[in-house]
Amino acid sequence: MIYSDAIMDYAKLRKYRGKIENAHRIEEGKNVSCGDEITLYLVFDGDRVAEVKFEGQGCAISQASTNVMIEVVTGKTKEEVIEIAKNAENMVLGREFEAGLLGPVLLFQEVGKYPMRVKCFLLPWKTLQIALER
Amino acid sequence: MPLRVSFDDFPTLGKKVNGKRLVYLDNAATTLKPKPVLEKMVDFYIGSYSNVHRAVHTLASRATVAYEEARMKVAKFLNADPSEVIFTSGATMGINLVVNSLLRSGILREGDVVLLSQAEHHANLVPWIRLSKFHGFGIAYIEVNEKGVLTEEAILRGKEYKPKIVSVTGHSNVTGQVIPLEFVREVFEDAILVVDGAQLVPHKRLDVKDLGLDFLVFSGHKMLGPTGVGVLYGRKDLLEVMEPFLYGGEMIDKVSFEEVTFNEIPYKFEAGTQNIAGVVGLGYALDYLEALGFDSLEEHVRDLTEYLIEELSKLEFVELYGPLDHSHVSIVSFNVEGIHPHDVAHVLDQEFGVAVRSGHHCAQPLVRALARGTKLSNFPNSTVRASVYLYNTKEDVDVMVEGLKKLKGWFG
Ligand SMILES: Cc1ncc(COP(=O)(O)O)c(C=O)c1O
Repeated sequence: MIYSDAIMDYAKLRKYRGKIENAHRIEEGKNVSCGDEITLYLVFDGDRVAEVKFEGQGCAISQASTNVMIEVVTGKTKEEVIEIAKNAENMVLGREFEAGLLGPVLLFQEVGKYPMRVKCFLLPWKTLQIALER
Repeated sequence: MPLRVSFDDFPTLGKKVNGKRLVYLDNAATTLKPKPVLEKMVDFYIGSYSNVHRAVHTLASRATVAYEEARMKVAKFLNADPSEVIFTSGATMGINLVVNSLLRSGILREGDVVLLSQAEHHANLVPWIRLSKFHGFGIAYIEVNEKGVLTEEAILRGKEYKPKIVSVTGHSNVTGQVIPLEFVREVFEDAILVVDGAQLVPHKRLDVKDLGLDFLVFSGHKMLGPTGVGVLYGRKDLLEVMEPFLYGGEMIDKVSFEEVTFNEIPYKFEAGTQNIAGVVGLGYALDYLEALGFDSLEEHVRDLTEYLIEELSKLEFVELYGPLDHSHVSIVSFNVEGIHPHDVAHVLDQEFGVAVRSGHHCAQPLVRALARGTKLSNFPNSTVRASVYLYNTKEDVDVMVEGLKKLKGWFG
């Protein structure tokens, strides 16, 4: 089962939910096929991702993935974040990846077994990548 | 008469998924295929297959006869003339054909109003919306209420738009509501009436003449037939004056380097090599359904739907959508308080072998409209959808309901 206690706890986490009024970047992401939507609010400190919050809704996997992502990327440089995002994607797509970079993202490794759920996991990561590359 | 289904005809149902007996409740998306239909298709491919209408050799003539027999079966099924039965790739193509051909023939023009309903599948929304942008016709809607239901009052209110064309679903793929088509015809006496029969036709024998339909589209794969084949019924006098949708081989009469004249109907709407085995297979599927009997099928599905609604209503953590009355057939959409539909569907599949659909069911505006009536603390803009067909049983419903109880316990 992909719904481990740890993932369920992350799905229910409230800490990163909400708007940031003066965010430097706001990015909306959507999974057209299922209707899941998130909006990421990003605050930078120079080259670092200083704070991230999100609004939106979706399944437990996409919500937990968003919370874990925010926990992992906060305080990292944009370059580091892009590297982590690539490895997270590689992990879930069954390609080679560097486990050392991922921390709690590794909780989602099993999601790769369910092709229909991969996009739930990837929604926040894809949205973040687009936000950083703009 | 009770429905007599031979479960041997549906070997898929004997397979296990995730170690559980498969409970297939995603029939609104597509149905399973009876083995006899598949076997006959194999026989056709091996013994009678060739291109149709062209060569004079034996295989070509067998294939042509089989293809035209399928057309005859469909025509008889709908009480239409064979020349009014056009084979398409499915309901989606049927609507696209109707909209484009009506525009090209000047039957639908700038300034005209097309009346749709808010309960439409994207297939009966997007073609109209997009082409209205290029051709300047207007679109109005029959509104759904907070349960996603089209009431007779709402249908009547549509009259004020004086629509030239009314295009509505016969049976909602989200709410399960069967639309009162007789009433729609009565209210819009002079309009061209297009009906999206993708969900209705698999459950009900329609008489297009009796109902006064001008166009009807449906898909074979939702009624035991193969994928990639569907039907457009069109009223003869309209089809005759309509410009074709696709151009190419087979649909022509004479071609020079400058000019083209068209073949007669229905051939002028069937350009290029058709899905020959698909068409023939759809004919076999129809034979199969007719042998079971549409009356028995309808009764079986109605009984099961009633049971499904009854059992789900007992779960206080479940919110149901749609009419929940006699007009509610086969398809039941619901949500589990506090658990996202994808999670519900995933766990039902993994732990209980139950296949249901989750998401917006290609009807985003309708699913969003359900938010108006929700009592959930957080409406997910999607639903879980269970849909029953001829091979489902009360036991299937029980497995799902038990699954929902357990799942609610796990997720809290
Ligand atoms: C009401 C309705 N209309 C149209 C369609 C489109 O059918 P198809 O995808 O076979 O073209 C569907 C299928 O999901 C449907 O449920």
